[in-house]
Amino acid sequence: MKDFLLKKDKIKNLLISASEEWDTFVPWKDLGEDLQFVKLPGAGKEDFLNKLSLEYGSPLIPPKTIAFPQLELLFEFEEGKIKEKVPPPTKKLLFGLRACDVKAILFVDDFFRRNFEDIYYLNRTMDKLLVLVGCKTPPRDCFCTSTKTGPFLPVPRSLGEVRKEGFDLQLVDIGDSYLVEIGSEKGKEFIESYKSFFEVASKKEVELSKDAKKRAEEAITLKVDFEKAVKNFCEDKVSRKVYEKIAERCIYCGGCLYVCPTCTCFNVFDGKKGKRGERSRNWDACVFEGYTREASGHNPRPEKWQRTSRRYEHKLKYDYLTTGMSGCVGCGRCLATCPVNIGISQVIEEVAKNEKRISSLSGKD
Amino acid sequence: MNPYLPIEAKIEKVVAETPNIKTFVLKPKEEIAFTTGQFVELTVPGVGEAPFTPSSSPYQKEKIEVTIMDVGRVTNKLHQMKEGEIVGIRGPYGKGYPLDKMYGKEVLILGGGVGMAPLRSFLLTLLGKTDKFSRIVLCYGAKTPQDIVYKDQFVEWMKNKNLEVYRSVDKADNKWKETEGVVTVLLDKFKMNLENSVAVVCGPPIMMKFGTKRLLELGHRPENIYLSMEKNMSCGLGKCGHCALGRFYVCKDGPVFSYDLIKEIPEIWD
Repeated sequence: MKDFLLKKDKIKNLLISASEEWDTFVPWKDLGEDLQFVKLPGAGKEDFLNKLSLEYGSPLIPPKTIAFPQLELLFEFEEGKIKEKVPPPTKKLLFGLRACDVKAILFVDDFFRRNFEDIYYLNRTMDKLLVLVGCKTPPRDCFCTSTKTGPFLPVPRSLGEVRKEGFDLQLVDIGDSYLVEIGSEKGKEFIESYKSFFEVASKKEVELSKDAKKRAEEAITLKVDFEKAVKNFCEDKVSRKVYEKIAERCIYCGGCLYVCPTCTCFNVFDGKKGKRGERSRNWDACVFEGYTREASGHNPRPEKWQRTSRRYEHKLKYDYLTTGMSGCVGCGRCLATCPVNIGISQVIEEVAKNEKRISSLSGKD
Repeated sequence: MNPYLPIEAKIEKVVAETPNIKTFVLKPKEEIAFTTGQFVELTVPGVGEAPFTPSSSPYQKEKIEVTIMDVGRVTNKLHQMKEGEIVGIRGPYGKGYPLDKMYGKEVLILGGGVGMAPLRSFLLTLLGKTDKFSRIVLCYGAKTPQDIVYKDQFVEWMKNKNLEVYRSVDKADNKWKETEGVVTVLLDKFKMNLENSVAVVCGPPIMMKFGTKRLLELGHRPENIYLSMEKNMSCGLGKCGHCALGRFYVCKDGPVFSYDLIKEIPEIWD
C-alpha cells in the first residue's frame, strides 16, 4: 500500500480545511506546560493553531474528556417533566493522538457500547477519524513497549471499513514532514478528500520513517514484565500483602484514575433549585471510601487495601478476562501524577515477581 | 433510546409494614415488564436515584410494588411522600431468578428483614404456578415481631396448603409463639430433598453469609443456591462501576447469582 507525505508547514491549513467538515480536536498548549485536546474554534483558527503542539511529551489530561467529560448533564426536570439533554451526534477529527491513547479510545468505545449503549458517550464519539502522531521523544514515565500499545501501531496489511489496528492515519515524524500510513478505508478517503495537502512518499522517506520508529522505540527505557503480571493477576497469585504495601503509601486522592485514559467510573447525582433541577454525572474513582458505600452505611470495601486491590485488579485482571485486553495502555500518566510516587509500573513489577497464590475465599495469605 | 431517562410513576398507595419499612404501590406511565428478581431504579427528582427490586408479582402488570426501608437520603425522602405524588422509574435491569431451572424441584426461600421484598415477588410468582414445583418452603427472620414485613399476607401464606412457612425473630416479645433465634435455626426444622432442590437467599449481608454457610453445611449444592446480591447500583447499566463484584457487575450480571458462580470472589460477603 502506498504511503503518503504531509509537509509540516501544510498541517495548519489542512486542519483549517478539515474543520469545515469535522469537529477538529488537536493537542493544544495554552498557558504554562499543560496540554490538552481542544476543539478548533469557529473563528480565529489561524491564531488558535499557533498553539498547536504535536511534539508534546504527554498530555496529562487524556483525550477521553472529548467524549466523557468530567461533569456532564444527563437531563433537566421541572415539576416532574423531564427534558432530555443528549448531545447531538457529530463528526469528529482527533488529530495528534498518541498510540497509547488510540488504544485507550477503542477500549473505552467498546465499554460504552457493550450491553446498554451509552447514548451520551456514543453520540459524541462514534463518527470519528483517529489520526495518530507517534511519539518522537517519549516521556520517561511511558512503558508502551511493555504493554504493546506503542509508540507506533502496526500498519494493517489490508484495509477494512473498521480500523484494524486502531488508527485511521498514522503519522511518523521524519523531519520537515510526516510520513502518513493508512489504517482504514476511512483514512484513505480522508487523504483523497484533502489530496492537495498530501503527496506520495518516496522509498527514501519510507526508510526514514522506519528509522524514526526504531529510535522512538529505543527511547522508551522503562520496561516491565507486563504479560507476567497480568498472568499472575489472572491466576490469583497476587498476595494481599502487595495491596497492603501500596495502601501504606497511597493517600487515596484518585488522581491516577482521573488521568487514566481507560477509567470510566462515574457518580450520578441530582441538583435542585426551587422546582427546577437536573441530573448529572461526574467522574468517580474506585479508591474513594464512599465509592461502594451503600445507603445503610454498609461499605463492602471499608479497608484501604481492598480498594487498592480493586483499582489494580480491575485494570490488569478483570478487564483482561472480560475483553482480552488489559485496561492499562502504558501511557504513564498515573506515574506522572502520583503525589506519593506510586506508579502502576511499580505495581506491575511487584506483581510480576509474586508467585504465591492466595486462598480464594478469605482473601488472606 | 436513552437508558438513563426515567418515566413518571404515580404513588397509588403507601402501606406501612414496620416502623421503618413501607411498601409503595406505583403506577408507571408505561408498563414496566420485569421478571421476578430484576430491579428498577427509582428517582425522587432533585434528591437522587436508588435501586429496588419490586416486591410484587410480575403477573400484576399495571402496578409495581416496591418495599423500602428508610435508610438513606433517597429512601428517607420516599418515606415522606404521599399517595398521588410522582416519582421516576426506569428499568427493569439485570437477571432475575432462573425459574426454568427450578421447575419440578423443591424450592427453599430464606429471607431476612427487608430482604423479604424480592422474595415476596418470587414467592408470588411460584404461588401463581404451584403445579410446577414439588414443594415450596419459606423461612423468614426479622429482628423483632414488629419488624416483620407483610404481616397480613403471612397470615394467608401460613394457611396456604401449597406452602410451608417457618418464622423466627432475634428477640421475641411475650406474644410471640414461633421460633426465637437467628433465621438459620429454622433450617433444622425440616428436611429438603437435596438431590432435587434449590434455595433462594436474600437478606442483610451477615445473614446472607451465615445463611449460605448453613445451607452448604446441610448439603445444598453451590449451583443450587441463588443469592440476591444487592450493592450500590447507581446506573443499572454496567457503566458507573459502583456495584462491581470481581469480574461481574451486580446490576447486569446479577443481582441474582448462583453461589457457584461467585464463590471464588473474596469480597462477596463484604
